[in-house]
Amino acid sequence: MTRQQILGWTQRNGLFFALAILIAIFSILSSRFLTVPNFTVILLQNAVIGLIVVPGAMLILCGLVDLSVGSVAVLSAVVFGQAMASGLGLPVSLLIGLAVGAAWGAFNGYLIAIQGFSPIIITLGGLAGARGLAEFVTQGYTTYGYGREFAFLGNGKLLGVPVPVILFAIVFLIGLHLWYRAPLGRHMIAVGGAKDTAAEIGIKVKLIPFWLYVASGLAAALGGLIIASQLDGAAVTIGTGMELEVLTAILLGGVSFTGGRGSLFGVLFGLLFVGVLSNGLVQVNVSPYFEQVAIGAALCGAAALDMFYQRLERLNVPVESEPIEAPQAGEAQ
Amino acid sequence: MSAPILELRALSKSFGPVHAVKTVSLAAHAGEVIGLIGDNGAGKSTLTRMIAGAIRPDQGDIIVNGQKEHFETAQDARRAGIETVFQTLALVPGLDIVENIFLGRELLVPGATGRATRTMDVAAMRRRVEEGYQRFGLNLPDMRTKVAALSGGQRQVVAIARAVLWGSGVVVLDEPTAALGVKQTELVLSFIERLRSHKVAVIFISHNMQHVMRVADRVCVLRLGRKVHDGPMSKLSGTDLVALMTGATIAAQ
Repeated sequence: MTRQQILGWTQRNGLFFALAILIAIFSILSSRFLTVPNFTVILLQNAVIGLIVVPGAMLILCGLVDLSVGSVAVLSAVVFGQAMASGLGLPVSLLIGLAVGAAWGAFNGYLIAIQGFSPIIITLGGLAGARGLAEFVTQGYTTYGYGREFAFLGNGKLLGVPVPVILFAIVFLIGLHLWYRAPLGRHMIAVGGAKDTAAEIGIKVKLIPFWLYVASGLAAALGGLIIASQLDGAAVTIGTGMELEVLTAILLGGVSFTGGRGSLFGVLFGLLFVGVLSNGLVQVNVSPYFEQVAIGAALCGAAALDMFYQRLERLNVPVESEPIEAPQAGEAQ
Repeated sequence: MSAPILELRALSKSFGPVHAVKTVSLAAHAGEVIGLIGDNGAGKSTLTRMIAGAIRPDQGDIIVNGQKEHFETAQDARRAGIETVFQTLALVPGLDIVENIFLGRELLVPGATGRATRTMDVAAMRRRVEEGYQRFGLNLPDMRTKVAALSGGQRQVVAIARAVLWGSGVVVLDEPTAALGVKQTELVLSFIERLRSHKVAVIFISHNMQHVMRVADRVCVLRLGRKVHDGPMSKLSGTDLVALMTGATIAAQ
């Protein structure tokens, strides 16, 4: 293996090892950590964020961002709650809740992808606006008590696996297919890394981000409904700070914030890293205040490491790679 | 000689009062490398952009394989079998060579399931590029190397190879050797020479006399929007070309 291959390998797998080391440390410090029930809890606690992370990572890969997810989640949840309260029934209310998310996603997508508005400004507007709208819709009153059927969405289990974890797994598998096996993955890298070139080649540089925003809104709505199911109430506090948790997992997972580079497996490890860190620190009785500090430090550490790798990479670009061009020079007359 | 793959008949284009290209005709045959030269403002890039479908001619016809074409977009030109490699190269640095060659035209797994799930046939795409490497004797690094790690000359070769691999009859190269070092230039020029034996018509636009003399079979000189010379390369010297470009021997014509 050459130095460059080793470098590339550690870069691709660094987060995986960081996660393994973290799990090893917590396993030594706490006997309850490395158990099936505890890992089920970790997955359940991160399933909702995980759902939203998949389209979120795709948007970042395209060089875009959706900061409105937490607020769209609460808006969808309270609209669902109002629909239930007015007696529309569970299936219709669920569809309305999801439609709210998709509609907000389409609104974001239209303004940002089609009209070219700034993604940060528009979705920051959504962050404030959608939550405000949710508070207006509820007038501060939380609807609650949606029945056993709806409770299954957040608390149910199939073959011993919590339903939110199953939903996350489905979304993640679809994401993997689109990212690695469908043309979309390459197109997203092209849109995020070289938009003008992508447009010139005929890639749908507007429609791809548009549909990703719709998917992001839909995922946020599903997340909001899952939380509402777990709480059995559409509280206006749903989704607070969600956008930051989503961004942390994506950026920790090594997706470049400027777009054009990143892996969905990395994002999964980023998500699990945060989940394991939060859970483990509680297990070993570290103050919950410190948890946020640890996540912040991990994010800064990942950014520093990424910068370090990029600098090393730049030093290694084979501008005049001899084995390739030496025979060429010999052929010249 | 067989019928030309690409024929331009009396193309003209004006931008307001400026006649950028005036009644220029040109025929390109398979297996032929045509050097298109001219000083700045001679109309080279206007002519190129008309062939590439980026702008529409005011007058005249573009005929591809005997068929009259009206290009509305660059995609139309590509569909008709004309690939233009501009200096920007249209490569995505974050993707590897195979991914770039198939970008926007990925092969899907055959059958209804492949189409419905949009599953790419990665193996087939690699095989096609591998064949291309062999057929053209490409001196490029492993096809899974990211374009970001390639040199300028190698990138140029990838861009040209993409044009040829897509089965285009006509490849238009806009200043492919500009801003390249000696070795890099050699890489590109030797590739262009090899294309001649593959039934491709190459239009090589440059203002570097040495490079044109090295690869072109025929040279076409533009000056102030008009074609002032069109003939076999072998009969001309570098001094003749400079004279034609600057207009010094117009009287002698």
